[in-house]
Amino acid sequence: MKDKIKVFVVETFLFGEGDELSEDTSFLNEGIIDSTGVLELVDFIEEEFGVTVEDDELVPDNFDSIEKIENYLKNIKLRA
Amino acid sequence: MPETFPGVKFDSHGVCNHCRRRRKIAEEGGGKRDHYIEKFENIIKKSRGNAPDYDVIMAFSGGKDSSYTAKLLKEVYGLRILALTFDNHFISPVAMENIQTVTDNLGIDHLMVRLPWRNARSLFNLASENDIFSKPTLLRASTICTACIGLVKSIVLKTALEKRIPLVAFGWSPGQAPVQSATLKNNPAMVESSQRSFMNALPEKMRKEFAPFFIDNSLLRLNPEIYPYNIHPLAFCHYDESEIKDALTRIGWVKPSDTDSNSTNCLLNAFANQCHIERHGYHPYVWEIANMVRQGIMSRQEGIDKIYVQQNPVLVDYAKSKLMD
Repeated sequence: MKDKIKVFVVETFLFGEGDELSEDTSFLNEGIIDSTGVLELVDFIEEEFGVTVEDDELVPDNFDSIEKIENYLKNIKLRA
Repeated sequence: MPETFPGVKFDSHGVCNHCRRRRKIAEEGGGKRDHYIEKFENIIKKSRGNAPDYDVIMAFSGGKDSSYTAKLLKEVYGLRILALTFDNHFISPVAMENIQTVTDNLGIDHLMVRLPWRNARSLFNLASENDIFSKPTLLRASTICTACIGLVKSIVLKTALEKRIPLVAFGWSPGQAPVQSATLKNNPAMVESSQRSFMNALPEKMRKEFAPFFIDNSLLRLNPEIYPYNIHPLAFCHYDESEIKDALTRIGWVKPSDTDSNSTNCLLNAFANQCHIERHGYHPYVWEIANMVRQGIMSRQEGIDKIYVQQNPVLVDYAKSKLMD
């Protein structure tokens, strides 16, 4: 799961240059993703992992790093 | 895309990895466009007529895209609009006239927010000499533009919260905000994070000077439910530059002859582009223009004409001299 997320973020927002991207790198603090970019990320997550992200779930705690996205997805699966 | 764009790789046909990737995404996900259109129209329907004074506040530069966005919001979607212009001291005289003409002819209320010149000059000088924001931001815009648009986005959102306006609209092209990124429900946590990232790029003194532009704690503590949606209406319309210009001339808009090829309002843009090209070896608009070419909105030749042209030296010198005074 983390690998797929990382590949997407590196290809889409870092244009292949992702050597410094770790699992806990903050996308917002590092300016990797902005408010329009986060929606591209959501689009990918919904398509890739078959989930629906509600508007009120679009918060940094769920999407601001590779690790946080993985935790969010695990929590969704637990709820389902 | 130029060879100097970070991470670009060309195959044996001369097609770059970004085009191949985007083509693949379009083939796999093309069916979602209707879903995004439906979501956008539902948001408009829910917001229309329910707020005290305005349905939407829009960042209005007087340029082609924001003027056309205003026209769509008024004439197609029937919204009550407050236009807000951020005067960065580099609005072209023709654009300033367009701001007045378009708001008058569309019957739109208008606010102008203007930085003191010394603050604007400090910020743009800093941004012209230093890449103060993170490296990924440079892939999509010059440092000067990122600094300016950061203030615009913040003051527009802050005004929306203060006036309880449910929608915040931007006239971003489909190259800047594609359909899957064209509606976003703001929330306090995301706003606070984005804001902190921007402010951390500025020296302490500047953070205090620009603090009034940003969302303070009293607004961050508001119920997330009342936070507005950001919308980019141009993602949902048929986008054709010449048709847009024709439509705008019917409401009195005049194409400026005093700006560069990538802007229809700003006299700082050519200098911002020049700084970026000198430091990084590629034009800061290349990502947006490449997206528009891929989406079929612009021909490859039109894109090349916008990117691979020398920045107007008169405009570059004008901005440089003004900032040095």
